[in-house]
Amino acid sequence: MSDRPLLELRGVSMAFGGLRCLDGLDLHVGEGEIVSVIGPNGAGKTTLFNLITGVYEPTGGDILFEGRSIKGLPPHRITQLGIARTFQTLRLFLNMSVRENVMAAAYGHTKAGVFRSMLRTPGMRREEKEIRELAEKRLAFFGDRLVGYRWDQPAYSLSYANRRRLEIARATATNPKLLLLDEPAAGMNPVETREITELIAKLREEGGYTILVIEHDMHVVEGISDRVVALDHGVKIAEGSFEEVATDPRVIEAYLGARAVERT
Amino acid sequence: MDYDKLFQTVVNSATLGSTYALIALGYTMVYGILKLLNFAHGDVFMIGAYVGLGVLTAAGGPLDPSFSPWLVLVLMALAAMAACALLGVSIERFAYRPLRDAPRITPLISALGVSFFLSNSAQLLFGAEHRTYDTFNIAGGKLYEPAVTLGSFSISWLRVITVVSAIVLMVVLWYLVTRTRIGKAMRATAIDRDAAAMMGIDIDRVIMFAFLLAGGLAGAAGVLFALRTDLFPQMGFTPGLFAFTAAVIGGIGSIPGAMLGGYLLGTVEALTVTYVTVWVGLPVGLSNFVIFSLLIVFMLFRPQGILGRPEIRKV
Amino acid sequence: MSEGPAIGRDEWVARADEIIERHRLLGLADRVPGWARLLAFVVAVAAIPLITDDGYVNSVVFDTLVFCLLALGLNVAVGWGGLLDLGYIAFFGFGAYTYAILSSDKFGLHLTSPLVLVIVLVLGALLGFLVGLPSWRLVGDYLAIVTLFAYQIFISVVTNGHDLFGVDLTGGVNGISNLDPFDVFGFELPVSHRGIFNSNYVYVALVLFVAVFGALHLINHSRIGRAWRALREDTLAAELMGMPTDWLKLLAFAFGASVAAMTGSLFASLKIGVFPETFSLTLLITVYAMLILGGVGSQTGAVLGAVVVYVFLEALRNADVSGWVFYLAVVLALLYLLRPRWMVGVVLAATVAFGFVAHAVAGAIDESWTAGAPPDAGAVTRALDVWVAIPASPGDAKPVAYVVLIALLLVSTVVTGVWRYALLVPTLYLAAFVWETVLAPQPDVTRFALLGALLVGIMITRPWGILGERRVEIV
Repeated sequence: MSDRPLLELRGVSMAFGGLRCLDGLDLHVGEGEIVSVIGPNGAGKTTLFNLITGVYEPTGGDILFEGRSIKGLPPHRITQLGIARTFQTLRLFLNMSVRENVMAAAYGHTKAGVFRSMLRTPGMRREEKEIRELAEKRLAFFGDRLVGYRWDQPAYSLSYANRRRLEIARATATNPKLLLLDEPAAGMNPVETREITELIAKLREEGGYTILVIEHDMHVVEGISDRVVALDHGVKIAEGSFEEVATDPRVIEAYLGARAVERT
Repeated sequence: MDYDKLFQTVVNSATLGSTYALIALGYTMVYGILKLLNFAHGDVFMIGAYVGLGVLTAAGGPLDPSFSPWLVLVLMALAAMAACALLGVSIERFAYRPLRDAPRITPLISALGVSFFLSNSAQLLFGAEHRTYDTFNIAGGKLYEPAVTLGSFSISWLRVITVVSAIVLMVVLWYLVTRTRIGKAMRATAIDRDAAAMMGIDIDRVIMFAFLLAGGLAGAAGVLFALRTDLFPQMGFTPGLFAFTAAVIGGIGSIPGAMLGGYLLGTVEALTVTYVTVWVGLPVGLSNFVIFSLLIVFMLFRPQGILGRPEIRKV
Repeated sequence: MSEGPAIGRDEWVARADEIIERHRLLGLADRVPGWARLLAFVVAVAAIPLITDDGYVNSVVFDTLVFCLLALGLNVAVGWGGLLDLGYIAFFGFGAYTYAILSSDKFGLHLTSPLVLVIVLVLGALLGFLVGLPSWRLVGDYLAIVTLFAYQIFISVVTNGHDLFGVDLTGGVNGISNLDPFDVFGFELPVSHRGIFNSNYVYVALVLFVAVFGALHLINHSRIGRAWRALREDTLAAELMGMPTDWLKLLAFAFGASVAAMTGSLFASLKIGVFPETFSLTLLITVYAMLILGGVGSQTGAVLGAVVVYVFLEALRNADVSGWVFYLAVVLALLYLLRPRWMVGVVLAATVAFGFVAHAVAGAIDESWTAGAPPDAGAVTRALDVWVAIPASPGDAKPVAYVVLIALLLVSTVVTGVWRYALLVPTLYLAAFVWETVLAPQPDVTRFALLGALLVGIMITRPWGILGERRVEIV
């Protein structure tokens, strides 16, 4: 891990009208790390992702990526700088084929413009071939779960678990450095959940991505995390290794209520 | 300063605004429940105007009505309201209901088709030529005589009738929507259709009721409007467009918003026609240019309208 | 291979029959590569002027190509970008007016047509950018209504353009007349050749058509085309996957606008003049109907839709042909709807029998009730005259019959079983009556009323059109 974090949030706040979703949050993710964000519903986890990817602009604080402020940049610029995400409520391009879903995500790091596309210049053809190969490589990462015959099917024909996989494949096709996974195991059965746990580790090993993940399933969090950050009501209440955070009384209180803490 | 001109502009605003408000209410109720821009609504309004003409002709025409002219006016409005309510409900039943769960663009195109069908049907049946109620001859020109005189200013019966009947209808609507069971069900459905259905509200009935009210108001608006202008098959288009915008300006889905927006738009139109084009130095024919440009700017900067709340982008 | 979960495959499997059916029907079209289909179409169209020098036929071919171009352009914003653009005809009008200004006696400018086309291409794209700007903030119906405002502004400007701060730009309601015919660097193409439509215009339109079709096809199969479709599916997700959606929306508008504007110039080069009322909403709805019938998002569909709708509209113009088209369409609809097929014969026979009885009864009550016949009776009408009671002066019967017919048609879509058959007989009889008294005498209005009804019908039965792919959308 280098001494300069890849992503750094400094006192980030977000309010919708009078409602404060995040309040002075400090967070850093080092290169090559896998950091999990946990917290009860409404703790501000997805808002955090929305702030990092530029969907919302924070009302206070600053967000640095590779030491450079990305606050106020449009989302596609942030993605092009190397941050990609998946969505908790799957947002695939449903009526496009599986392959096209992934190919579309290569837009940010490819170049052929209007005229070159209409003239089919050799450079454009080469680039098009590269995009196709990239997409197939990203899909092949999921082994027999997203095998070749599915590539030409429309995305809506995929099962729920496969849609989650396709979301990850699509995000990696933007060639990111940092991958934000929003509840990758939500709605999966135990077998699939175990698979996802292994997959996230594999993403770091083989893909070299740094990963920030929101997850509710504590087995997944335990299995993958270098570090865990717990949020409640938009405030960081604990940070550290899985064991430290999982046993932190404030975290237990946030999840189970005050009386549960008294009983333990 | 020409006070007479200013006064006439104010009266014009109120008259125009009354019609727009009545039509806008129909757009807003339907949009509130179905999230559908009912393009055909302007044409329902047009049909209302023609139904009024039919009643007037059946009663012997403006010169020699066999009944009292006031009774004929009331009959015209009632017949138009009934016919348009029925028309509105049928359009919903046959052109929109099968598409209720389809992608939003589908019922929108269907609405365009209905609109096109209605205006062309009107042309088939009533001809393309401009018709008129010949209001000058109704009750021997009584409608153009001043009803209210304030010093040197006066307001004609025609304008008093338009504004007063619009206000009466809006009060009735207000009562129906806030005080009756079905009205409350309608508001609940507008907030969350699925939740309302789960609470035991008969959604089909509620939607039908909304179209019934919308059609009735459009029918009345058609007769009131046609008292002052010509009738022709495409007459519904521009008022329809203005009224939809009025609904948007007020905050689509909001009933007081539609009323406010209607009067506001009436004012903008009256002011633009009388003053703005003169100040800018544009030909009067270009008043539409000014109005539509203003509307685009408004839509861009406050699409949620005056009484609406901005939507937060959900991810 | 391990057996994966099969949750989502159900839908795919459930539709297997439909997919197979589709491929059986369109199997040939699907297996033939795109360029070959285009070539076949081009060869077929190019052959028409060689086979016949009938000016009417060739002018219909030209107009059909104009509509094909319009539908192709509309498909970019609506089909690929998912942006509902109701101001589209303004671009067409803009192109036509620009041609009129640059190539007529109006300002004494007589630019050569290829140059005009290039200018219009660029200006049209810029106008597309401008009209597309609201799409940054507005989507769906809001965008539709704002583009409709833009169209109203266009109409307002051209209608009052005879006095824009003292300058006469567009000639107002009188439009601009005496336009130059199409010319290529001094080589003029007269509009008519010995009093007959100059079929060379078909070739000019065909060249433009091929260029536009090809260019749009290539852009669709590039990263920009993919990004357009991604944006249609989910704008926010597209933005978050690194696509500059604001720019892509403008690009889609600009492409559509350029195509429409160039088509407008081509269209104007053939006309005596350009007038505001040419660029009506009717035209907009017609182009939408073409694209939707053919299949939104499919280029082949856009062309097919344009050809079908335009030929249909032209056929309804001619009294003799329109009768055949109407009655044939009725029989075909019955064949499609009724099972078993022999029921069609029963229903038709019952209708004719019903007709003879009604005719006899009506004639017995009053001679004048059956005395009428449409003025320009075609062959079909003469055959019908014996059993359809057409009064000498239908008058008030017309609106009543029309409204009742529509009510019967609508009711017959909801009732089932024997009631449906019972209703069909009077419905058909009334349809024949309404056709002869109301519809056939006014073909110019009838065809558009039918187009409106068609649009509703497609939306309800097959919103993805003939060639479009059925789409899934999470509402």
